[in-house]
Amino acid sequence: MSLSNEVCKTLAFTYRNFIITKRNFFTIFETLFWPVLGLISVGLMGMYLNLEQGYFAFILIGAVTLSVLQVSQLDVAYVLLFDIWSKSLRYTFVSPISSWNMILGSWLFGITRGIVAFAILFFSSMIFFGLNLLIPPPFLILFLFGVFLSAMIIGLITCSLLLIFGYRAEIFAWTLSAIFMLVCGIYYPVSLLPEVVRFISYLIPLTHFLEYYRSFYGFETSFENPLLLGYVLALFQVLFLFFLYFWAFDRARSRGTITQFSE
Amino acid sequence: MFVHAVVCEDVWMIYKSLKSEKIALKGINLKIPKGKIFGLLGPNGAGKTTLISIMATILKQTRGRVEVLGLDSIRDAKEIRKRINIASGNPNLIWSLTVYENLRYYAMLYGVRDRRVVENLIDEFELREFRDVEFNRLSTGNKQKLLLARAFVNDPELVFLDEPTKGLDPPVAKRLREKIADMQKDLGISVVLTTHYMSEAEMLCERIAFINRGEIVANGSKEELKRMLKMKDKITIEIDAEISMQLPSLEGVYMVERDGKSLSFYVDSAERRLWDVASEVAKLGRIKNIVVREVDLEDVFNELVK
Repeated sequence: MSLSNEVCKTLAFTYRNFIITKRNFFTIFETLFWPVLGLISVGLMGMYLNLEQGYFAFILIGAVTLSVLQVSQLDVAYVLLFDIWSKSLRYTFVSPISSWNMILGSWLFGITRGIVAFAILFFSSMIFFGLNLLIPPPFLILFLFGVFLSAMIIGLITCSLLLIFGYRAEIFAWTLSAIFMLVCGIYYPVSLLPEVVRFISYLIPLTHFLEYYRSFYGFETSFENPLLLGYVLALFQVLFLFFLYFWAFDRARSRGTITQFSE
Repeated sequence: MFVHAVVCEDVWMIYKSLKSEKIALKGINLKIPKGKIFGLLGPNGAGKTTLISIMATILKQTRGRVEVLGLDSIRDAKEIRKRINIASGNPNLIWSLTVYENLRYYAMLYGVRDRRVVENLIDEFELREFRDVEFNRLSTGNKQKLLLARAFVNDPELVFLDEPTKGLDPPVAKRLREKIADMQKDLGISVVLTTHYMSEAEMLCERIAFINRGEIVANGSKEELKRMLKMKDKITIEIDAEISMQLPSLEGVYMVERDGKSLSFYVDSAERRLWDVASEVAKLGRIKNIVVREVDLEDVFNELVK
């Protein structure tokens, strides 16, 4: 296994996602239009409710994080869907790639899109609401990387479910981040949630990354070191989901799902 | 060193779902020679695509063993994938990518970074003027050419072509067949080709296996297959009356087909049997026309799937 070959195979998916995004007006809309629209709506609501600076930052951080997550998870979640929609899955899987080439390559482009979305939202919140969301850059990078890992988790779940349940799982690409929004405390602290749901929210890394970012604005965190906890959970989940994806792929190979998706 | 491109030993494929079970392949035994074009023929649903998908490591057989280029199709799948490729008759690639971008993307999947490989393929498959045209804007013929070009991005030793000329206009299909033959000859690669078109198999394939209902029913060279069925010639006689009577069995006649006012006889030798056959038919009506020709693969195929 040569490293340069593996890099090339991984970047193939980055290249493909880049071209598809470049050529598809809708995906540009997804990165620019909806996130800004969401931020302005939430910001105006905050202004109407006359929120003090800290709470205003609380909900805008939620809006920014949700948009960055939604934008960056799409690339991973769509990596199989692009092939399924164009019925070319067999040509991707007949090549000597590993599942991680596919996930990592598309995730890299997801990160790029996520950074662009974050930058736009960061400046939009400054321009429209005079709120500076900047925290010391190393901590901001750690926070963003945590969000990107959460995006990979959603993408891996979607891809695995697609291989297991077929087209019916397509809807997960859109709904999982909405479920995250409900459980992770995007617009409210998770302490508001019923105990059972709160327990689930603590298992989701994004909850801790959000608490970490908000801690710079004086909000309390549920655990002492939310960043570390978030990363430990994220790494375990990514590892577990990679195994699930390998298993789902092997199952798809035995059941003929790949050929079905190509017909 | 392996002598066969593919070896299948007692290969079974059973598609299982919660409600049912479908047996697609029933104990396939097959040896595909290296450096030749091998045809896999059979009617719809016979199991051709399933078998080719197993050989190409996209599908995992339920039972049995498949060896591709001397490697085990399950254990060494990734190693095999580096050395094979596939093109199907359903021309589907990423719609919004151009000819160049599609080839570049697939080349990268094989670790091929040299852009000249892509440019050379564009020239080789006469796609230069469509280089920057998106896949969904190409004609079916050009889509198929691109798909075929894609199958050569990794300089494969073995290429699987699953009905590569399906749905193409005859002149385009002819040019594509010539291209396949040329590429095979120039590169000395092994090709496994599935097709519905007997003329295609007759033109391209050195050896052929017939598959029907998940089983190999015959396997050999074109001549061997015809000999196997002992049918050499076909005599077609047209008379002036509808044929309703049963003909007596005649020596050297292996099969008789009836179609309105004409009868076709599959015989071991037209030279020896023509007089006997014509004499019998003359009893049914006045002979209007007699055509004698050699049996072709279509006849063999029809006989085998009966």
